[in-house]
Amino acid sequence: MLVVAVASLPFVFVVARRPVLRRLALRSIARRPRESSLVVLGSLLGTAIITGSFVVGDTLAASLRQDAVTKLGPIDELVRTSSAEEQDALTARLADLDRRSEAIDGVLPLTTATAAVAVPGPDGQPRRAEPAATVVEVDFGGARSFGGDPSITGIDGDTPRSGRAAVGEDLATELGVAPGDPLTVYAYGAQRELVVDRILAQRGVAGVSERPGSNSLNVFVAPGTLQQLVVEGSGDTVPPSASVAISNRGGVFDAATGTEAVGEEITAALGQVPAGLASVKQDLLDQAEAVGAEFTELFTSIGFFSVLAGVLLLVNIFVMLAQERKPEMGMLRAVGLRRSGLVGSFALEGWCYALVAAGLGAMAGIGLGRVIAGVATDIFSGDEAFDLTFAVDAPSVQNGFAIGFTISVVTVTLTSLWIARINVIRAIRDLPEPPQRPRARSLVGGAVVVTAGALLCATGIPGEEPYATLTGPVLVVSGLGPLLARVANRRLLVSGASIASLAWAVSAFGLLPGAFDGAEIPVFVVQGILLTASAVALVSQNQEAIGALLRRLGGGRSMAVRLGLAYPLARRFRTGMILAMYSLVVFTLVFITVLSNLFSSQIERFTADVAGGFDLQISSNSANPVPAQEVGTTSGVAAVATLADAGAEFATPMTNGEFESWFVTGIDEVFVDEGPTALNDLGRFPDADSAYRAVLADPRLVIVSDFFLQGGGGPPEAALVPGQSITLRDPVSGRVRQLTVAAISESSFANDAAYVSLASLRDLYGPRAVANRLLVATEDGVDPAVLAERLDATYLANGADAESFRTIVAANLSSQTQFFRLMQGYLALGLVVGIAGLGVVMVRAVRERRRQVGVLRALGYEAGAVRRAFMLESAFVAAEGIAIGSALAVATAFQIVANDTFGDDLAFALPWGQLAVLVVATFVVSILATAVPAQQASHVRPAVALRLAD
Amino acid sequence: MTTTLHSPPSSLPAPILVAHGVRKTYRTAAASVDALRDVDLDVAAGEFLAVMGPSGSGKTTLLNCLSGLDDIDEGSVVVDGHDIHTLSDGRRTRHRAASMGFIFQAFNLIPVFSAVENVELPLLLAGVSAKRARQRAQESLERLGLGHRLRHRPPELSGGEQQRVTVARAIAGEPQIVWADEPTGNLDTETAATVMELLRDLHRDGLTLILVTHDPAIGASAARRIEVRDGRIVSDDRQD
Repeated sequence: MLVVAVASLPFVFVVARRPVLRRLALRSIARRPRESSLVVLGSLLGTAIITGSFVVGDTLAASLRQDAVTKLGPIDELVRTSSAEEQDALTARLADLDRRSEAIDGVLPLTTATAAVAVPGPDGQPRRAEPAATVVEVDFGGARSFGGDPSITGIDGDTPRSGRAAVGEDLATELGVAPGDPLTVYAYGAQRELVVDRILAQRGVAGVSERPGSNSLNVFVAPGTLQQLVVEGSGDTVPPSASVAISNRGGVFDAATGTEAVGEEITAALGQVPAGLASVKQDLLDQAEAVGAEFTELFTSIGFFSVLAGVLLLVNIFVMLAQERKPEMGMLRAVGLRRSGLVGSFALEGWCYALVAAGLGAMAGIGLGRVIAGVATDIFSGDEAFDLTFAVDAPSVQNGFAIGFTISVVTVTLTSLWIARINVIRAIRDLPEPPQRPRARSLVGGAVVVTAGALLCATGIPGEEPYATLTGPVLVVSGLGPLLARVANRRLLVSGASIASLAWAVSAFGLLPGAFDGAEIPVFVVQGILLTASAVALVSQNQEAIGALLRRLGGGRSMAVRLGLAYPLARRFRTGMILAMYSLVVFTLVFITVLSNLFSSQIERFTADVAGGFDLQISSNSANPVPAQEVGTTSGVAAVATLADAGAEFATPMTNGEFESWFVTGIDEVFVDEGPTALNDLGRFPDADSAYRAVLADPRLVIVSDFFLQGGGGPPEAALVPGQSITLRDPVSGRVRQLTVAAISESSFANDAAYVSLASLRDLYGPRAVANRLLVATEDGVDPAVLAERLDATYLANGADAESFRTIVAANLSSQTQFFRLMQGYLALGLVVGIAGLGVVMVRAVRERRRQVGVLRALGYEAGAVRRAFMLESAFVAAEGIAIGSALAVATAFQIVANDTFGDDLAFALPWGQLAVLVVATFVVSILATAVPAQQASHVRPAVALRLAD
Repeated sequence: MTTTLHSPPSSLPAPILVAHGVRKTYRTAAASVDALRDVDLDVAAGEFLAVMGPSGSGKTTLLNCLSGLDDIDEGSVVVDGHDIHTLSDGRRTRHRAASMGFIFQAFNLIPVFSAVENVELPLLLAGVSAKRARQRAQESLERLGLGHRLRHRPPELSGGEQQRVTVARAIAGEPQIVWADEPTGNLDTETAATVMELLRDLHRDGLTLILVTHDPAIGASAARRIEVRDGRIVSDDRQD
């Protein structure tokens, strides 16, 4: 807000000390209330978009931070170990630390296991079931006092007795159970009948969960229950997870600030005890901040096009205002007003608009953020449901206001400086400015631009810096224009420079892939701006030729065509600004539509890539996995591959040696025999089969996906390459293994894990490496979806979750498509700016051409023809803008596909239907926006227009 | 010199314009002003009529109402057999395109059209083919000494040149009546004299010319002068 205050100081001075300028500015605003409203509308959208982006970030961050309350509460760190015995030793050491440490205020042993939980029906068969619930054993007395504030633990009552269970709120809702209802827990090949004792609020220890999403599907049982299940059961299973929770001193959020110091104390206290330390709360809060910032950046970047359209609208309106008031401005200068006074008057008028627009825009941004959060709630629902809690932080609104205000004020001030440069006599007589001869100043400017561009090229291209690489060559050719203006035709110069810039902006990603590898979203924003600016410059310079062609097509005698084209062709600046607005917005909308379709239309191809030689996968409970051999004998099953998924930590050159959480998957020979995930970088191997067999044979080899350790959307950032060395760490035992990347697999919706051999994983993880995922190849004629349903029902007790690969891909594509839809909606706001801009231009056009319309009517031009001419004028500009934006978007999308930015076999296809709807709707709405001014023009009475004018 | 009111002598051709009982009142929220009061006027084909009077007397209003550019409150105006104020807007517009030409003080050329495009405008509106319209527009401009300025747009022309383009536009369609509202008001004396000479030449060729002016010297060049005061025609002088 300090920026707003400082930026406003000159204007406050003018308001207070310059009554003439104040009167001029304020009366100019009041003179045209409708146009003033449109200016405010165009400006406020920019602020709304910026504020909305911040609010989306706030909402995402707050929602994730809320998980700190619901899923952790007083828990700040978890120290994991692999057995109950080690847990006892660990607890003793940490309890001792608790007594000594000023930073810790509690330790709490927890034992957990993943299990299927079902509500039995009257026939004893499961009525409702949750295949992947968490069974928790904890001492309720200790849990309630853990951290010193019982209210944040969510723990209520005594520890459940044998045969009783306290069920977490989410699981109770999922299963529809209440106190007194029976419940069956299936784990380790055994089952236990329980009675629901009470329902616990999803908070703190009661909500403890490390699963993705906001849900905590917990059932609390008597201590020893899990061990009994292990004893009663049989098979190759993961033992219960034993850990000790640590509470730092402080509240839910501020306690996390002590994580680093506490971590050091814990590490020192553990000594040789094999255990892994996880800073769960700090990680969650860091993730919240990162996700919030990521979404703010994403929406701000996408919305930037609309913000820019708003800036163009402001410039256009102010230039039009200046044109209309040119004689007045000339008179004011003639009677003694200095140029600075004119600037002050215009800028003050703009400041008033900016102030009102920023205020309204900030409020509209909150509403916009709410709408996006509402739409996003659907997108984030699903298996890993993520509860969105709408949140607005005051600094976000202030920042949105300040940025929107500053953009508007800077725009109007610069525009005012420009338009106040008038020749007094020419202004008074309303004469056009003579064509400008190339001046020394423009030569110097051109030389500076060329030099700057050359420097950017020299540093950016060898250094593979995307912004410099993209803009350097464009600056060089742009600067050549003023330099060569004395010796070459302006139209040829601008056209040549525009074509060269266009060609570069479209092809740079393909020509210099190294510079754009893992490019961030703002790079694409810069590319979009360069593309549209070049295309608009090219079209603007050649409007006469386009107009002549259209006139020929429309018939030489059509007066509506002649007049409709005459003004846009004559008013190049104005037309260029509207074209730029339309092109920018349509470019982004069409691009996102084409991109969305590229993914959503290729479900079969993605399914084939993801599935390899398999048709469905069954994920199951590690504590009670689905027996692979039994599945192999099921009718309709042709082959079964056994995979072991486990949580892991990796340190790579990409992470600068820091360990980051990801997944590791142990694979078997059947997986390789039947057709594993496709590889897109074979490394030193001749084919995929050789690479996978090398991994099976060598425990030091790993195959990683090109999305390995990546987050967020868009193309993968700098990825690993075959031959690089990475370190795998078991997060429980802390044991590590050095691995060499053998090959890079294609990212897939089903698995972006790191593949090692099952034997290698078992060697590192011990009995916790369990075959918890089966890939099933079906016999010919078997419907994978139907078989998946059958397997789900058969292996409910194992927590089976069987899905055909097609279903998995379809669900992921559906989420992706919804997200694209959300972005389309966001981008469509820019259309409002564009259409408002066209409306303003046409309203002003009617006003400034009132006399000319009167003359035309006097000469015999019919009212309908006047209306048609105005409609045709806006149609021409809108159509050009739509055509430029669409063509650029399609070309860019094609280039992206051709360069394999999103994978090497993505087929280019256009969603003709969607594009047609988009283009036609934009065009029709644009025409409708000008219907009112066109109608007004047709109602101009010739005598009145001429009398007023004369 | 003889003085008659409201009707041409019987020796002149049949009237091309007959106005009877024309009233026009301008109403604003604050007041209403009677701009024309019961005006009767006949103009014969081929006449050169100057409408004179001081500022605010109703000269321009008379021109607007007689030409059909503005509506009237009472009375009738018959031009070439058509009671123009009973016609629909469309028909009145077409009638105007076919039979009238206009010259304004402020030139009122379309700034985004070149000189030749401005001149061919009424021809195209009257349905003349594009090729023929361009040819006739060029001929008109060449006749007025603007053959070298065909492709120039109005802002690139001097005031005198712009007014000559306006005259060319007014006569290009070979109208029956040309209305000129202070055609020399924005011109210097020399250029004004040139334009008036041009108009007199056109009249000599048979054009009906109705010219509004407050300049007695300009008015003196007309064969017939009427004077308007307070919305009434107070004198009608014909110079034989």
